[in-house]
Amino acid sequence: MNIFTSKTYLDNIEVIAIIGIIIGVLLFASTLFYVWGLLKPSADLKELKTRTNSWWAMAALIIITTLVHPILSFIAFGLLSFVALRELASISKNVREEDRRVIIWCYLAIPIQYFIAYKGWFNIFVIFIPVFMFVWIPFMLVVRGATSEIGRSMSVLPTQLMLTVFSLSHLAYLLSLPNLEGFHAGGRGLLLFVVFLTEINDVFQFIWGKILGKYKILPKISPNKTWEGFIGGILSTTILAYFLRFLTPFTGMEALIIGFCIANAGFVGDIIISAVKRDIGIKDTGLLIPGHGGILDRIDSLSLSAPTFFYIVYNLYYAV
Amino acid sequence: MRGLFLGILYGMVIRSFLKVIVGVKYVNREALKQEKQFIIVSNHNSHIDTLAIMGALPFGQVQHVHPIAAGDYFGSSKIKAGITKLFTNAILIRRSKNAEAPNPIELMSAAITRGESLILFPEGSRGTPGKMQEFKKGIGILLQMHPEIFFIPIYMKGMGKVLPKGERLLVPFDTYVHFGNPKKCVSNEVESIVKEIEAAILELN
Repeated sequence: MNIFTSKTYLDNIEVIAIIGIIIGVLLFASTLFYVWGLLKPSADLKELKTRTNSWWAMAALIIITTLVHPILSFIAFGLLSFVALRELASISKNVREEDRRVIIWCYLAIPIQYFIAYKGWFNIFVIFIPVFMFVWIPFMLVVRGATSEIGRSMSVLPTQLMLTVFSLSHLAYLLSLPNLEGFHAGGRGLLLFVVFLTEINDVFQFIWGKILGKYKILPKISPNKTWEGFIGGILSTTILAYFLRFLTPFTGMEALIIGFCIANAGFVGDIIISAVKRDIGIKDTGLLIPGHGGILDRIDSLSLSAPTFFYIVYNLYYAV
Repeated sequence: MRGLFLGILYGMVIRSFLKVIVGVKYVNREALKQEKQFIIVSNHNSHIDTLAIMGALPFGQVQHVHPIAAGDYFGSSKIKAGITKLFTNAILIRRSKNAEAPNPIELMSAAITRGESLILFPEGSRGTPGKMQEFKKGIGILLQMHPEIFFIPIYMKGMGKVLPKGERLLVPFDTYVHFGNPKKCVSNEVESIVKEIEAAILELN
């Protein structure tokens, strides 16, 4: 079996273009921070540098796995979900000692969900975690018999699954969408579109916040986020979406609206994970140990923008 | 041959399993590369502990590092003892005083004299997850006999959640293994050596 589909991939000029843009942006960012550090050694660029490095890793993951056989993308996203869920389950103090064995069921849901996504069984894909696992986990908790504070575990565990597995699996499902006539970039184009816009939206918010930031938007949850950063980020992302619409089947107007939705969803995902972390009492999951970045800090915006984008696209173009 | 076998087993198979599936994260692993001979001392909550330390060792080192294991548990039958020795390089010692087995301190001391390194869990047993028990005196006596040997303190966090005492099902959780830099003991009294080591381990928390 020839697992390399790079021939058709190289024909895909839109996807090549966006990969060029991504690598260009990353090269620019890395060079910028390097030169900045040389010119002004006092500046604290550690956070920016770690972020850039994790974007390199993420870009490499997405580019390489889309370059080779799609099944690799499913495995890679499945692993990403696994690491994210493991991190969330590990820092969560809301889960009881007795739930240790039930967490195995959460882990087992990952390969199943990604297998369903790979097969493209849409009707099962959308209910497996939100409906089936939502009942299966409480059932397993009940079977184990410890009833004290069981209600909390019944809600915490399915929520963790939703945030890390259900949400991210939509990125993988994009690759299972059928071909549309006259639309060449396909699932890969859509995948790169949503991931790139979500990540760059974080950057835009950060940059606008640094330049203009004055009025705090949610000081109790994310003290660094400002109204200026939020609005600037949304506007920039919306405009960028218009110019990246060659990756999608969208008209100009659709691209603007969808870009606006991605930016907002990214922000909401970010603050939801932030609030969860505040509850646990840590700011950055990666700060638990210096030098070990937490994956949750990287996928927080994607965990909401991915399903938002997916359902808009699906209902606009793929629903029969 | 044995070095290659253990090197591949721990350096590749077990290390990948620990990092990718279990979620073990090493902090300051370079501490292991500074000295050729050492005694690793660590807190102890799970069977995973030994694997996690062995999996962190530099490739060529593995065959010269021997975990000290309870003979009454891992050596309860000949087959069990054989398997433990083959796969973990362990030195089995007796934990109770009146058994007719060789003196544990002498066994460990002899290994040190041969130039080997040891892994010791001075708590003596795995105990309850997340709680450190009082240290046994053996490590103090051993370092009093060999003051020239470096000890490497390790603090492990979360192993008791992955595979607690009495559980058979391994559940992945993020766990951290903090390595301290190699140290020599300052004092030459058994009890203060034990205190020194205990402090060095807790400092990593």
